[in-house]
Amino acid sequence: MIKTRLIMAATSVVFVNRTAPRLGSKIGRGILYIILIAAAIVQLLPLVWLLLFSLKNNQEIFNLPPFALPERFRWENYSNVWSHGKIDTYFVNSVMVTALSVLLTVLLASFATFALTRMNWKWRAPVLGLFMVGYMIPIHSALIPLFILFRNIQLIDNPLSLILSYTAFNLPITIMIMLGFYYALPREIEEAAVMDGCSVHQLFFQIILPMTTSVMVTAAIINMIYNWNEFVFVNTFISSDARKTLTVGVQNFVGQYSMDWGAIGATLMISTIPVLLAYFIMSNRIVEGIAAGSVKG
Amino acid sequence: MKRKTLAFMLLFAALTWVLAACGGSGKDSGGGNGSGPENSGASSEASSRETSPGGEVTLNLMHLWPEGSNFAQYKIVSSIVEQFQQENENIKISVEVLDNEQYKDKLKVLSASNSLPDIGFTWAAGFMEPYVKGNEFAPLNDLLEGELKGQFVAGTTEGYTFDGTTYALPVELNIVPVFYNKAIFAEYGLEVPKTYEDLKEIIQTLNNNGVNPVALGGKDAWTASFWYMYFADRLGGDNLMDEAVANEDFTAPELREAAVYAQELVDMNAFLKGFVGLSNEEAKAEFMNENAAMYMMGAWEVPNYTTNPDVPQEFKDKIGFFKFPVMEDGRGNVNNWVGGPGVGLFVSENSKHKEEAKKFVSYFVQKWGEISVSEAGVIPATKVDTNAVSLPQMYIDLLNELNNANKVTLYLDVQMKPVASEEHHNLIQALFSKDITPDEFISRQDAVLKEGK
Amino acid sequence: MNKVMSNKAVIALYVLPSVLLILSIVYLPILFTGYYGFFDWNGVSDMQFTGLGNYKKLLRDQQFWNSAWHSLWFALMSTLSLIAYLLVALLLSGKLSGSNLLRKIYLVPMLLSSVAIAQLWLKVYHPSSGILNTILEFIGVQNTPNWLADPDIVLWAIFVPILWQYAGFYILIYYAALKNIPEAVIEAARIDGANPLVIAWRIKVPLISEVIKVTVVLAVVGSLKYFDLIYIMTGGGPNRASEVMASYMYSKAFKSFDFGYGSSIGFSLLLICLVATWLIRMLTASRDKIQYGG
Repeated sequence: MIKTRLIMAATSVVFVNRTAPRLGSKIGRGILYIILIAAAIVQLLPLVWLLLFSLKNNQEIFNLPPFALPERFRWENYSNVWSHGKIDTYFVNSVMVTALSVLLTVLLASFATFALTRMNWKWRAPVLGLFMVGYMIPIHSALIPLFILFRNIQLIDNPLSLILSYTAFNLPITIMIMLGFYYALPREIEEAAVMDGCSVHQLFFQIILPMTTSVMVTAAIINMIYNWNEFVFVNTFISSDARKTLTVGVQNFVGQYSMDWGAIGATLMISTIPVLLAYFIMSNRIVEGIAAGSVKG
Repeated sequence: MKRKTLAFMLLFAALTWVLAACGGSGKDSGGGNGSGPENSGASSEASSRETSPGGEVTLNLMHLWPEGSNFAQYKIVSSIVEQFQQENENIKISVEVLDNEQYKDKLKVLSASNSLPDIGFTWAAGFMEPYVKGNEFAPLNDLLEGELKGQFVAGTTEGYTFDGTTYALPVELNIVPVFYNKAIFAEYGLEVPKTYEDLKEIIQTLNNNGVNPVALGGKDAWTASFWYMYFADRLGGDNLMDEAVANEDFTAPELREAAVYAQELVDMNAFLKGFVGLSNEEAKAEFMNENAAMYMMGAWEVPNYTTNPDVPQEFKDKIGFFKFPVMEDGRGNVNNWVGGPGVGLFVSENSKHKEEAKKFVSYFVQKWGEISVSEAGVIPATKVDTNAVSLPQMYIDLLNELNNANKVTLYLDVQMKPVASEEHHNLIQALFSKDITPDEFISRQDAVLKEGK
Repeated sequence: MNKVMSNKAVIALYVLPSVLLILSIVYLPILFTGYYGFFDWNGVSDMQFTGLGNYKKLLRDQQFWNSAWHSLWFALMSTLSLIAYLLVALLLSGKLSGSNLLRKIYLVPMLLSSVAIAQLWLKVYHPSSGILNTILEFIGVQNTPNWLADPDIVLWAIFVPILWQYAGFYILIYYAALKNIPEAVIEAARIDGANPLVIAWRIKVPLISEVIKVTVVLAVVGSLKYFDLIYIMTGGGPNRASEVMASYMYSKAFKSFDFGYGSSIGFSLLLICLVATWLIRMLTASRDKIQYGG
């Protein structure tokens, strides 16, 4: 019952077949493709570069052109990374901290954005302002008080300090990304749902959340990237090796007077691949727009 | 449906992991006196207020030699910690490792929140001054006058001494020679310069032949500061820079003249193209790849020219070093060096186990002195018996130079207090990129020194 | 309807967790930072109250204004680059086969950590062996620029990697927003005979105007506090030619050990962000809100 009403609301304008594309636009389209594909190649080159980088030694990295092949592939960079430092532990920690923070952030942000955009209350504007200003705070200026705070509640060297920090510091940007989408949701949907006797919770969980899949995934991807690569908080709040994350793995090869660039490259490659895979899997979900979401819900 | 199950399982696993982590930290802190916010035993922040029922003491140690990049030092520290724990069964040492930059940042956060580790490393003079003034470091005079008496190379502990009290003990000692590629020099019939005029001729010859004379990475301004310091020393003699910093007066004419000479070298294209935007790592690569003939750097580079297995022997054989040449009418001795002790060990004043921590520091300094040269290629600040260990020739030569040194002037950026030091880096960069004149360089450096921060 | 949607208990349940979290983890610390800003404090010794001393010093600090100007320049350039990102997103969201894959690829640089990005661009800009100068020499340019060592071009040289790194981020947001426009709305316009340009400019862009406003704020504020890539690539140099507010704050607080002064810079950065956001809202508020339903 609800569903049929929803579909009607969302497709209140009649759907008609498109007209065939004109001939003249075909050439333009060809040029367009060339430009877009060229741009895509430029965006992909860093991955190729990073792979090559991770298979060279210091001399080759600085002496050879970035895309030149090394004398031989130095896979020992990878074995070096595995044997020096606890990259497997870091990896598990990274996955856990990132996953939990992303889940928590997206969930809390969805709740908040829903209340901020769809519900009526007096403090809406100031609360929204609170979140927006939160985005403006540079982390380095909050670092020392935050450390003292976590020390006082005994969360130093505890992954919770990371999860809470990531969630709190990413809530603003997540809410801001979601805002535009929530504003754009048709009011008719709520009206229809409420008329059908939906409670707010039902409305939120069964209708709104599914409809905002694409923006939730967008926000999740962005959160994932931020959290995965973050290192200031990790270095400051976490002290034992067993609780550090992958970004620390890179620092493992930064020496007092010198660096092992090949190993840094290998670590970067190891830490990039999972996030790349996760990204490609998740980004498939973005395409499912409003209509698909409402039908499924 | 399947997807939901998977999601729940993931969530469950994640929650278990968090709880395990929290539980672990709770267990470790058992037996504490409850006066402070301590947690994990592995945590350096806990400032070791915990004493477990068995009377066991946990000391936190923070160092800056990561396993991946400074494996030799890392290994030495681990083995010293291991041995110490075996010999002192009631003392447990938990170690935290950070890389250089992160280490400095974290040290500042920890000190600002009164949570320094029991034992850690500090840099000398200007860097540690705030910590000393803030009563964060414990005096170590009793060690210096007791069991470590006579162990240190003369003058190396001065940088860690304030009003007669020594607050840290150095473990590294370096001087800054000019390394050069003997093969390139031979190819163009060049010889080690005795005077600055010789050096200029060498630079001219190399430039005429399309060879980069000097590898220098000006983005890391401390490397360019070496060049400036040598000019200042060779012109003004032994105490010019020490006095300038101590008296907060940077107006001596030789200091200005040194800036003029530095810019003269820039005008001669002595340094790499675009060197102000290059890091030390990038500059070093030019030298290691034989694209540049000279490289002025601390003796810590010596392993790359002697023992580092990743560097081809062929290249190592080509590298030698020389002393910065003297200048006409200058007062500086050719046996004056830029250099000094690197990091030193401190004990936190707020440590609950100062005696144990000092015991460890003393143990560490002695053990480190015995094995650091032969195993990590680090010249310790304690005296090395060159007959007792077999060392590559370059080390022996450098150690001899150290013994014959007339004066070692501590790096300017280490001598200066933090604000002045940070500005020194900027001013050096501006000087070498010719953004400012020698006069501006002097007046701005003088002004910031006089701020006294 | 109104009654259901203004249920206080539900609102509290939905909003309070986020509000409490952000108040305690973000605002509480920044209040302390604001407090430190009134002191002369090196982080170790006793704090000395100086009142507005740090702020007075800040107003006269040429280097701070210099860095503030660089940050504003980055903010302006990032805002302008949004136009390019929006165009790409409009193209991709059309009926272009393969656009899904392209969109995904565009985000790849953002997945890399700044350490990797910086290393790559250092190789591009290397004054003698870099890709860029090699190409320039090949086509006969005599005095190739020293990209990161020349104070006149260093800002541009840093801006290009930022433009490139964030392309995927904004394209992703725009793309998701454009995909959320009901197909039916666009079909209706098409039936009315509107050509694709008109549809894009008159229908699609207004419909995602809220999203665009948000991205402007994100770009401006994000640039004002931007830091990592600049710090790794130039360290703010040469001679502070690429220093921005956040890097200046960092170097004062962590390199110069001047926590009090660093805190006052951090707080000023916050104020500048606030003013900028307020300006953006003023400038964009005049436009009519266009949305379906609403």
